[in-house]
Amino acid sequence: MTTGPTVREIAARGIVDGRAEGPALVAREPVSFLGDVDIRSGRIVGDLPSARNAIVAGRVLIFPYTSGSAGAWRFLYQLYKHGKHPVALVTEAVPDPSVVQGAILAGIPIVCAPAERLIGRVENGTMIQVEAAGERGLLRIMG
Amino acid sequence: MILTAAEQAMLDGDAGIAKQRAMAGLVQLGRAFGAERMVEIGYAHIHAGMALYLDDVELIEELAGEGARMAVPASVNIANADTVDWRRTGAPESLARLQRRAADAHDRMGSACTFTCTPYWAGHWPTWNTHMTSIESTVTIFCNSVLGARSNRDGFFAVYAAIAGRYPLFGYHLDENRRGTHLFEIVDTPEGTSDFSCLGFHIGGIAGDGVPVLRGLARRPSLDELDALGAGMATSGGVALFILPGVTPPFASVEAAFAGRPLPESIAVGRGDIDAVYRRFCTGAADRFDIVHVGCPHASFEEMRDYAARLAGRRIHPDVEFWVTTSRAVRHMAEQAGLLRTIEAAGAKVISDTCPISCHFARTTSPDPALGIVPPPIRTVVVDSAKQAKYVRDMIQCDTLLTTTEGAIETAISGRFVDAHAAARR
Repeated sequence: MTTGPTVREIAARGIVDGRAEGPALVAREPVSFLGDVDIRSGRIVGDLPSARNAIVAGRVLIFPYTSGSAGAWRFLYQLYKHGKHPVALVTEAVPDPSVVQGAILAGIPIVCAPAERLIGRVENGTMIQVEAAGERGLLRIMG
Repeated sequence: MILTAAEQAMLDGDAGIAKQRAMAGLVQLGRAFGAERMVEIGYAHIHAGMALYLDDVELIEELAGEGARMAVPASVNIANADTVDWRRTGAPESLARLQRRAADAHDRMGSACTFTCTPYWAGHWPTWNTHMTSIESTVTIFCNSVLGARSNRDGFFAVYAAIAGRYPLFGYHLDENRRGTHLFEIVDTPEGTSDFSCLGFHIGGIAGDGVPVLRGLARRPSLDELDALGAGMATSGGVALFILPGVTPPFASVEAAFAGRPLPESIAVGRGDIDAVYRRFCTGAADRFDIVHVGCPHASFEEMRDYAARLAGRRIHPDVEFWVTTSRAVRHMAEQAGLLRTIEAAGAKVISDTCPISCHFARTTSPDPALGIVPPPIRTVVVDSAKQAKYVRDMIQCDTLLTTTEGAIETAISGRFVDAHAAARR
């Protein structure tokens, strides 16, 4: 008898509606979309030792909280316009209003406060499905 | 979220596609922050549509095309080109043409095309308890802290709020968040806007996204100094509101600023802290700078008077490019008052609608390649504002020399950098 890949479901709080799937990229530090991520390449250029030089494009980006300027929405939206955006954001704390506004504009789902700690436990590259509808958010950790 | 019948009708599309899109976004934003309901707003400061970012002007045109109209008085934030006379900044005409398309879209939507980060100097002056929204964090902090209006640090959704005339009730719209979190004891009262911008920058770095309360200033700061103070705080930290008892409505005392709760231990701030901010942003060589700039945030009429008085009858050094940036509204008033003639006769360029960090000098933008934008090589910019200094470093990615307004003007005339201390001794 064969068993399929294990799928672990973790409840979270829905922030921005949507569904997405992609390999995880975990940053242990707060992320500022204005300054930390290059718009044209999607590369992390800011002072984030745990994720420096990683590419956010196509990834489920997992990090503790957002920091920095109220201009963050424009940079998240520009990442989307250049096709270099993360497919979903997973944060511990509710992100800044500006980041939420950019994500809604770009159609990037956000969930926060997952019921289990992910940072330090989920490996980069692990496939993750993110679903958010209203207050309800769900993460599926594949494999 | 509980919506009124009118708000539900907007969400259902009964009031047109633009209002539906706006309300759908605002409802999601409100849900994310646990807002129980919407509140009617009285003013909005909205996104310009920026020509240096891919498809960004198109975003504003799209709204205008969907029939969006401003439900409340709305001013428009700073833009990426001087749309009236872009040649003086060296910008290509392609950029100015694209930026002008945004102006046309705003004209159709009924937003006042101020293209400025200081709409209050252009007459947009919300009052105590006015719920509002702003895309520019300097506007948010000035309106909250000096005028007593209620605003969060918003992004693009300021335009959605302006279209719907509503904003979800959370953050600085609620009394419970308009209370002090940090107490600063100002030991040495600063003098002039540059000192106040450095004071704000220092405080913002400590207060983060808290609400700093300031005690100990020997006098009531001028409106320009209050503007500079807030701009500094909003730059180094995420401060949306500071409380200066006796100035910030409705707080008459330090005790009121903390809503009667025990005061936290105070943090002393002195001349040394202000000087450290000047030093931090003095990275360039004293005899090698490309531009001297004043007018961040965009100059008020009073500041234009000050520049004219300092420049009257004098000449900018032939090797120096000197920029004064202001809004088109203040520029017009200055022109009518004869100040522009005095400033320009000295050899200064008066630029409106944009500024060094907002124009094509910035290296962190992402324009359509077809526009042919090439940021010019710039080694050092002399500035009189901690806000401009921080963003010159981050966006133009070159050295800065930070001094006072007087120091900047004396630098422009002598051709050699005059720091804050040297300027004070003159």
